[in-house]
Amino acid sequence: MSEYAKPLPVIQPWSKKFWEAAHQHKLIMQKCNDCGKLVFYPRKFCPGCWSANLGWTDVSGKAKVRTFTITVAGVEQAFMPDLPYVLAIVDLEEGIRMMTNIVDCKSEDVKIGMDVEIAFRDCTDEISLPVFRPAKQ
Amino acid sequence: MSKGKIAIVGIGEVPTGWYPERHEWDIIYDTCMQAVRDAGLNKNDIEGVLCSPAVGQPKLDSELVFGKLPEELGLKGCRDIASVNAGGATSANLLRMAEHWINTGIARIVLIMHATKYSSIDPNYLIKTFATAGMSMEWEYPFGTTYNGMIAMATTRFMNDNNISPEEMASIPVAFRKWAELDPNAMFRKPLTVEKVLSTRMISTPLHSMECNMLADGGAALVVTSPEMAKKICKTPVYMLGEGARYCQATVTQRTDDLLARMYKEAAADAFKQAGLTIKDMNILELYCAYPILMPILLMVLGVCKGGKDAIRFIAEGNTWPGGKLPCSTIGDALSRGHTGSGVGFAYLVETARQLMGKAGERQVKDCKYVLMNCAGGSGMNMIFEIFGRNLK
Repeated sequence: MSEYAKPLPVIQPWSKKFWEAAHQHKLIMQKCNDCGKLVFYPRKFCPGCWSANLGWTDVSGKAKVRTFTITVAGVEQAFMPDLPYVLAIVDLEEGIRMMTNIVDCKSEDVKIGMDVEIAFRDCTDEISLPVFRPAKQ
Repeated sequence: MSKGKIAIVGIGEVPTGWYPERHEWDIIYDTCMQAVRDAGLNKNDIEGVLCSPAVGQPKLDSELVFGKLPEELGLKGCRDIASVNAGGATSANLLRMAEHWINTGIARIVLIMHATKYSSIDPNYLIKTFATAGMSMEWEYPFGTTYNGMIAMATTRFMNDNNISPEEMASIPVAFRKWAELDPNAMFRKPLTVEKVLSTRMISTPLHSMECNMLADGGAALVVTSPEMAKKICKTPVYMLGEGARYCQATVTQRTDDLLARMYKEAAADAFKQAGLTIKDMNILELYCAYPILMPILLMVLGVCKGGKDAIRFIAEGNTWPGGKLPCSTIGDALSRGHTGSGVGFAYLVETARQLMGKAGERQVKDCKYVLMNCAGGSGMNMIFEIFGRNLK
């Protein structure tokens, strides 16, 4: 898998666990043990209460498409082989909003409000990107 | 920004467009000399210089940030120089810095400038620069985000929620073009129709290429001073009357559904309150939209229109066009003007001054007393509204 040519996430010390879990195909979120807030993206301190007491929790991976676009042109060379691809913003059941891609379906079938579930795109020996696919009925 | 503490007394601008043969310092010489001469001043009267950093142009950026301009142009009275960077909101921030310099006596007359030359830069480097500027390198960029894509997603949602057709959306670039047809500094000036917009190639659904920006070269300069000095040196000074700003989060996914409308309304309310004016007093709305969708959104936020459908109808019926009830975006916005990095905010600032000075030629709006303009940085990290007038009310 060393030929992955697209940009990889620039990982911060406090987001390392997220990416380790993603590589195990598990979606986890940071959670503040003091104020109870779910934190995404991962932070060094809770952005709600500045607590350093942050842990991790599993989330369902079930989401709805808030909005999307079928990207057809005007991208960097690295993304050109993927055209057309669906860039989307999804809302997880747990109230987290994520940027992602919708995969495993025809791009013209993607609709606002459609149910999607987590999938992972294995990019390298260390990185799997959290993407979403239509939810199984 | 305090009410009535600064005035614009001179403006300079070069045509926006693709000019590979024009050196970046040609732009700087032309715009700065025009602005100083427009103010009726001598070059040595300039006591402070404030530069916009040159987005995506490392050589020019370094020259500007590290003070080459006053030396190159021989500004012998210059006491200090600085750059302030806030992306697309840079123009407003240079004015804030100018106000501070003017009112503390650091510099009584300040030259503000912006120059961009993208035509000599590798297109792939530019695409990458704008794909990563204002984007999260961890949570957005790896998924293939672009500015077109970000705005396309917002547009998909807006069209869905308000039941807007592609034809209706395409009436917005047409409205922009009506002004650009009359603007010698615009990049695209041929008459445009809804059919033509929709016949151009799809970039990122639902945006066609004529609903996306074209990067371009351009530049502008302004001379700013105190109202007291402005009255002595200029027949038609343009006064800053009010300003409001709100931060809106850097990353698109960190914004809740109602955040933008709420923040935009608060920022506009602050600006009107400071100016002691209302939307009804405005003769022009210089709405810096960058993409079509922001025009109906701003018309709603400002209370001109009730909903998305109403705003689209308002635009399509010609109310924002030359001769319309409420002229908007009289440079044709970034879509027709050309996108010069952080320069579109400067183009709007120069146009605001031009209209209030009565120097807008074919685009001149009659009896123009008050103008509202806006700018924003990154992928919408903030929103700034500014109100200017030809009198200190």
